[in-house]
Amino acid sequence: MGELDGAPDVARLIEAYYDAGWTDGLPVMPPTEASIAAMLAGAGLRGDEVVGEIAGRNAVVTAEKLAINAVLAGCRHEYAPVVAAAVRALCAPDFAYHGPASSTGGSAIVLIVGGPIARRIGLNSGNNAFGQGHRPNATIGRAVRLVMMNALNTRPGLLDRATLGNPGKYSFCFAENEDGHPWEPLHVARGLAREDSAVTVYASNSLYQVYNQLAATPEPLLLCMADTLGNLGSPNLRGFNESLVVFAGEHAELLVTSGWSRKDVQRFLMEHTRRSVADLKRAGRLPGAVAGADEAAWRYVFEVPEDILIAFAGGRAGSWSACLPGWGKKWTRSVTVRVDAPPVDRRTA
Amino acid sequence: MKLFDPTSTPVQREVKLARAPERLDGLRLGLVDNTKFNSDTLLAKLAERLGRRHGMQVALTSRKRSPSHELDEGAVEALRTRADLVISGIGD
Repeated sequence: MGELDGAPDVARLIEAYYDAGWTDGLPVMPPTEASIAAMLAGAGLRGDEVVGEIAGRNAVVTAEKLAINAVLAGCRHEYAPVVAAAVRALCAPDFAYHGPASSTGGSAIVLIVGGPIARRIGLNSGNNAFGQGHRPNATIGRAVRLVMMNALNTRPGLLDRATLGNPGKYSFCFAENEDGHPWEPLHVARGLAREDSAVTVYASNSLYQVYNQLAATPEPLLLCMADTLGNLGSPNLRGFNESLVVFAGEHAELLVTSGWSRKDVQRFLMEHTRRSVADLKRAGRLPGAVAGADEAAWRYVFEVPEDILIAFAGGRAGSWSACLPGWGKKWTRSVTVRVDAPPVDRRTA
Repeated sequence: MKLFDPTSTPVQREVKLARAPERLDGLRLGLVDNTKFNSDTLLAKLAERLGRRHGMQVALTSRKRSPSHELDEGAVEALRTRADLVISGIGD
């Protein structure tokens, strides 16, 4: 007896999508005409509209393909505006898609969502913000990855040449915690209005959780972060790159009560995230033998404070924050795009 | 059972290839440095060797914004008009 003998149609459909090579390895939600139409309505787009294109690959993402991939990923139609905005950001020239999508570095595409839509669709910004358990977080990031694989032909072993990759390549989407945020959310810091909804797309090789339970002022905590961002194995010590820092729990509270501004934190990290030329040479991150002056010669990881992106997310309890070093010097830049949700959702009105 | 195709086929675009030169001697050389580590060093060595063996002169060198970015149209046009042979690279 075959494995699918007697199986319901949906199981056969799921297997058919596997057979076609259209999944990320997890089972997909088989689309229907109705679910694709609902996804398009949720995005406020017509099927033939072009959402984005990557000129160097002659690749175009139409709204129809975006909708199919969003359904496959398990998105509800209310999530479609966020998926569409993320794809527009991916295709922005500053993001320079080819590098972060295809590099051996195996970046996750991190989506940071801010503004009213995050709360409206139930995106998690609290406990376990990077983890499992919330449909919008799990499926929006997954939809973007499926668009990359299916519509932008970025498949493992072909145009995705990741040496190891990382689990964030399945999905990496979270919302900023805007309640109790010590400063303005990331999208506001980047020029949008507080009442705007937005998604920031950022390529990161890795996620380090940073622990410090004893810091009573920001400096010791930020020294831990600077050390993490500047560790000798970090990909881009030789050049200036962006990095994302996410403060959570007790660390966020420490910054609030200490009266430090976003700029203060960025400046401190910029000044302290550095390695000596001697360290870099000993570790083979710079060529040549160590010379006397190398011990006191410094290489800085960041060029300007704005290279350090700061977000707030995570639960209130715990002495944890996170550093996510960026992929590739300034070969890619994070991009923030406004989420254009239809004024009235035709499916729920 | 109906499947909905989530894939896109790349848009077809006509690309005109330059004719390969019949001889290398005396050609004007263009170099495209993609900014990968040591790419400038390797390109310089290649150019030096081509100069020695074939009398080729480096007419211009273009440096990409990054390996991820395409060469801008202005640079492509300059290479098209000022160079007979272009070397682009490298990987790592």
